[in-house]
Amino acid sequence: MAKTSEKLLISKLQELRSIRPEKDWVSSTKTRVLGEDPGFYFFPYFKPALVGAAFALTLFVFAFAQNSLPGDALYSVKKISERSQALFVSQQAKPQANLQLANKRLEELSRVAEKNQTGKLSQAIDEFQVSVSQVAKNLSESSDPVRNKEIVDRMVSEAQTVSAYLGADVGGDALAELKERTNVEYVAYLISDLETRTLTESQTEILNQMKELAGQGDYLAALELYLVSQQ
Amino acid sequence: MANHRKEFSKIYDKSIDKIYRFIFLKVNSQEIAQDLSSETFLRGWESYKNNPKINNPSAFLYRIARNLVIDYYRQKGRNQFVSPDDVAIVDPGPDLEEKAVFNSDLGEVKAVLADLKEDYQNVIILRYLDDLSIQQVAEMMEKSEDATRVTLHRALKALKEGCNKRQYFTS
Repeated sequence: MAKTSEKLLISKLQELRSIRPEKDWVSSTKTRVLGEDPGFYFFPYFKPALVGAAFALTLFVFAFAQNSLPGDALYSVKKISERSQALFVSQQAKPQANLQLANKRLEELSRVAEKNQTGKLSQAIDEFQVSVSQVAKNLSESSDPVRNKEIVDRMVSEAQTVSAYLGADVGGDALAELKERTNVEYVAYLISDLETRTLTESQTEILNQMKELAGQGDYLAALELYLVSQQ
Repeated sequence: MANHRKEFSKIYDKSIDKIYRFIFLKVNSQEIAQDLSSETFLRGWESYKNNPKINNPSAFLYRIARNLVIDYYRQKGRNQFVSPDDVAIVDPGPDLEEKAVFNSDLGEVKAVLADLKEDYQNVIILRYLDDLSIQQVAEMMEKSEDATRVTLHRALKALKEGCNKRQYFTS
């Protein structure tokens, strides 16, 4: 009987190294044992740095966007920033906040005009008129007609300056309607306020005339009458 | 925790083939070898994440695998490490041509190895398949180096006798 040599035996044994598990099974078992690979082992160490860098970049973009004009790439970022800030403004403070935005739009319009960027002029005027409409919307929710009138008068004055510069009415119908509504509210407030006071005979006469003009829808004349009587 | 996972991931990559083969040679079934190998690494990971300072993770995994195989046979009530598959290839027949074909099949060595007692199997697999040094094998087997050399000598002798008895291959 032939004998098996130790060398041959070991050689045969070593051929058993070809026994290997299936690759798919090795991979799936590893996942089952260790869970999903997080992919980025040093995440806990780098996370604060990444978040910090992203935050700094966002701040930089938002700050840079503040100087953008209608038509610029970053103008939408500026609008998002303003909308975000508007979320934290109380209902009572909204008219003033909206006026500030409308004034910003006026400033942008003025800068566009100064730089003679005619391509951006149309969008800048639209942005201003939309902001004026926004002011009008919030005026009705406000209970302070005196303050409203101050706000709108200031805006109208500034708009007139820009209109004169451009040689065009930048406020358009929106601003005219807003001014009229503000006058109506203000006259109504003045009449109701005067009715609660002790008036002289001449003052009573002026009040009656104001009521008559307001009844006819001529609020501007009623207001002028009041202002003349105060001089 | 992420670092422990990364470290154990490397241990897994380095050991999975060896542990699978170690188990497969004892149970002679792909399905059972896969189940027991998975369980080995699951238990290994559970221990490692709680105590990552295990001195020799490889030896630790072999120990788990060995105990799982023992438990498997204990539960199955089996006394021998022989499966029906092995029985079918035990007799190669007297024909020379058949013998040549049979010699090319690794199944014979596997069958003889599977017939050996557990200590002999372990020492042969660790020394000749996994290429561990006598010192490392001794550590795995929890024996002295001298005792390991003696066991290895006896294991090879038993394997040789088994092969000669079945006339699987000749010198």
